[in-house]
Amino acid sequence: MNNAGPDTASRAVLRLLRQWLPEMSVIDGASSLEQTSPGDPPILRSAQLVEGSAMRAIRIAGLSRDTTSDFGAFLDGTQRVRVIGHHFGLPIVLGTVSAAIRVRVNRRLTTWGHQPPRVDRKIYAPLRYIPSLANISPGEAGEANWQIVDTSTADKNGEYPSQHPVALFERATRAVDRDREALEDELAEAWCARGEAPLFVDGGISRSARVSASSCAIGVIKSHRTLYVEGDALRTVMGLKRGERSSIFRVSPRSRNSVLSWYLRLRDADGHDPMWGLVRVEAAESERAAERADEVSRWVIAETSPLALPDGRWDKMSYGIRDCEEFLRAIS
Amino acid sequence: MSTALGRVVATERKPNTPHEFHFWTAIDSPVGIGTIVRVEGSQPIDGHIPHIYGIVVEGFSYTDLQSPMHDVLGHDGLPTTAGYAPSERAEIRLYTAAVLRQIPEEPLQPVPMGQVFLAEEADVQIALRMDSYLKEGASTGIPVGVYRAGGTEAVIYLDADFLLGPEAAHLNITGVSGLATKTSAVEWLLASLFTHFPDEKGSIAAVAFNVKGPDLCYLDQPGKVEDSDKALYEKLRVDPKPFPQVEYFAPYTAKGLSLNTFRNNEALLDKVTPLTWGLREVLQFAEVLLNKDDVDAKADALIDFIREQVVDKEFSDPMLSKKHKVQSFADLDAWFRDVLQGMEKKDGESWRTHHVATIRKVRNRLSNISTRCAGLVTNTGEVSDLPFGSFTDRTVYVVDVANLEEDAQDLIFARIVSKLREHLERRDLGVKHLVVFVDELNKYAPGDGQDTYVRKMLLDIAERGRYLGLVLFSAQQFRSQVHRRVVGNSGTSLFGRMDADELATPGYAVLSPATRTKLATLEKGQLMIRHPHFTQPIFVRFPRPSVMQGREGAERYPQSADVSLDAAILRALRPLDPTITLPWVQEITALYTEDEIIRARNATLLARPENVRAYFTAQFRKIIPAQTPARPMAASIKSAPENDPYGF
Repeated sequence: MNNAGPDTASRAVLRLLRQWLPEMSVIDGASSLEQTSPGDPPILRSAQLVEGSAMRAIRIAGLSRDTTSDFGAFLDGTQRVRVIGHHFGLPIVLGTVSAAIRVRVNRRLTTWGHQPPRVDRKIYAPLRYIPSLANISPGEAGEANWQIVDTSTADKNGEYPSQHPVALFERATRAVDRDREALEDELAEAWCARGEAPLFVDGGISRSARVSASSCAIGVIKSHRTLYVEGDALRTVMGLKRGERSSIFRVSPRSRNSVLSWYLRLRDADGHDPMWGLVRVEAAESERAAERADEVSRWVIAETSPLALPDGRWDKMSYGIRDCEEFLRAIS
Repeated sequence: MSTALGRVVATERKPNTPHEFHFWTAIDSPVGIGTIVRVEGSQPIDGHIPHIYGIVVEGFSYTDLQSPMHDVLGHDGLPTTAGYAPSERAEIRLYTAAVLRQIPEEPLQPVPMGQVFLAEEADVQIALRMDSYLKEGASTGIPVGVYRAGGTEAVIYLDADFLLGPEAAHLNITGVSGLATKTSAVEWLLASLFTHFPDEKGSIAAVAFNVKGPDLCYLDQPGKVEDSDKALYEKLRVDPKPFPQVEYFAPYTAKGLSLNTFRNNEALLDKVTPLTWGLREVLQFAEVLLNKDDVDAKADALIDFIREQVVDKEFSDPMLSKKHKVQSFADLDAWFRDVLQGMEKKDGESWRTHHVATIRKVRNRLSNISTRCAGLVTNTGEVSDLPFGSFTDRTVYVVDVANLEEDAQDLIFARIVSKLREHLERRDLGVKHLVVFVDELNKYAPGDGQDTYVRKMLLDIAERGRYLGLVLFSAQQFRSQVHRRVVGNSGTSLFGRMDADELATPGYAVLSPATRTKLATLEKGQLMIRHPHFTQPIFVRFPRPSVMQGREGAERYPQSADVSLDAAILRALRPLDPTITLPWVQEITALYTEDEIIRARNATLLARPENVRAYFTAQFRKIIPAQTPARPMAASIKSAPENDPYGF
């Protein structure tokens, strides 16, 4: 969440909101809303092993100092959530999402020419509780044709969220998440449709059927709120050394698509927390899964140079993804 | 229209101002220090899209690396592994440009954000305000070199009104020795000046003092011109040919037999005129050679007395043994001798208020001049000089003083410049504009040390010369050591490769560190120019001069060694009459003394008669050779008449 001073977009949307909601209170400084973590709780989840009968640490074959990477591009998205005002306590959020593919040409990263980077800004507000906003016609939405996303719709059980400002803010944040994921998926699908060099995707690839089935996209997940191992397998994964991967397993979330996955240690965790330098890789199903896992692992390890410092997640982050984030920060 | 090569950027920490802006470019862009760029603003001001012209004065490059340590960590401390990284770090080329010109010029605002383009030839003309003097009807542009950047090649012109007056004048060149930049630049610039100086501004000539080496001794000889230089000559519209009209002047060696110049090879002697002065010429500039310790008020009074009452006058005094007409150093010495003998006879201590000690001192100092300046100053009073009054258009007059003592150099410089000034004041020099080129300005117009006559003269030219058409082109290795008023009055300054120590002096603080670094590494044939129309220094390339370089000339036309008197006379006369032979010279001069022969030669060279043999021979007729008287015939004994009774 970003609560820096108002930028051009914020000022524009504030002007509109003041017209629509003269009683709205504008928030100039930091939001007074409680910081919450709207993500899933940390859990362990079992997964179907694809390689062998038990989870084990596997030394990646062919790994050396001059290992090269076949990744031709990097995909990442960013989001910014800012409470710009409230209407009798109900939060009105300005969400900015962006995504871009940066292709590598002669070892330098540049924006992919076939699909320009995307930056979307929307207003997220509980229309059920602020009905006057629901009646805004397109003609009144300003030059930028501001779109308003309702954060008070009923869930799958038909229940509406309470008017608690924090609950509504969490709703808004999730909505922004979804919009960012949609942009990322759109770009990843466009890349896979062209069948170009492998794309390094920051995060999972299982959301999109086309992407999850394509050999052009490899997902690299840095956060481990869900660990797809239990018991001894967890111990094996936590004990991975640099240059080792776990056995391959299949991840098949209910609402998503099935992909092959494995854990990979990018850096020695000695003296660090057990997740230090640990990523989970997602790739499309493959007949020669083990070979593919070794090959992709070599690429991912090669991408640890140059360092993604000063980003705090540099132990897991590839430089290409950092470049995407910096690029998106510059344009969004 | 060219494509943009950069974008203007400004941050709170690094904002743009009306005189400076920043822009970034692609890594492979052709921008470098000294590149001229054009910025196109995006917002109209008073209905006009602003165009800003700037020159790159500083460059920065950095990556997104926050600390060098991160790179070390990233490559495990092994530089050799750095090349294995699949991606290069994001990198920036950020440049700072100094504003050359803004259009519209008012209101003068900070440089706006906009696209940056490489300046094309037309842009360069506008940026440097050359459009004002290159437009139809003005044409006072003198090409000085070619500006090159990216694909742009633009001729850079100096404004003749600001180079030779009346608006501003003078040119100063600084550069390290040994790269031939200073001399080459002057040779090239004179060629360009003689080609492009507008006819309506009148005639122009140059007097160049060759103060060291043979650099200026072969201006009339063709030099080697490379193909790349030919292209530059074509672009600059100057013929790559040597100077068609060059005249050389050099005094004799101390012995007086041959000319004291690198150009005394027989094949080149035809264009060398001896430079010799007599008592009258020297006495006018006695103070050049006599320092303040030598000449106190009493001595000065006596010198004035000699100058006013003695020289060229019939001088008589009851104390003297005879009438004197002093026209040469020899006459002057005889006069002194007579005065001192007269005083001794009278046993007097003073004569006409001058004390005997003062008289002896002045005699000593003045007589000494002919020794110190032997070869230049003649005892006999003969004068062979520059053609004051009949200077011709587009001619270079080279005065070779390279092999002379410092005193003689000073005397030559002082007298020639004074004469030039006098003639220009009277408008009877023969040309309307005259360029005087002096190298080694460190020596002749130093910033510190005692005030000398030569320095005063240089200051006078620098400060007032432009009103007369007398323009100083000067050169030195260390500009910081030259008198500030001399370099300060130079409207145009050229800089070749510079010494790092010199660049560290305060005079160069106005230049950016990158510009100073570029100056320290300039190639041969490159110059940085400051000119009144240019708000920032500009880097240009100029062609190698199309004249023979000093070293090559010295190898092809080696300096003649000292020769015998007969051979020296032959070499001096042969350019006037090629039929003269050594036996003829030996036959004519056999009976005469060395002084008489040299005097005859000098008179002949001065007169340049049609019949050289007759004229030279005639110089000896006044002298009757000593002849052994014939034995007198004994008178014949008359025979006695046969009828003489007393006959024996």
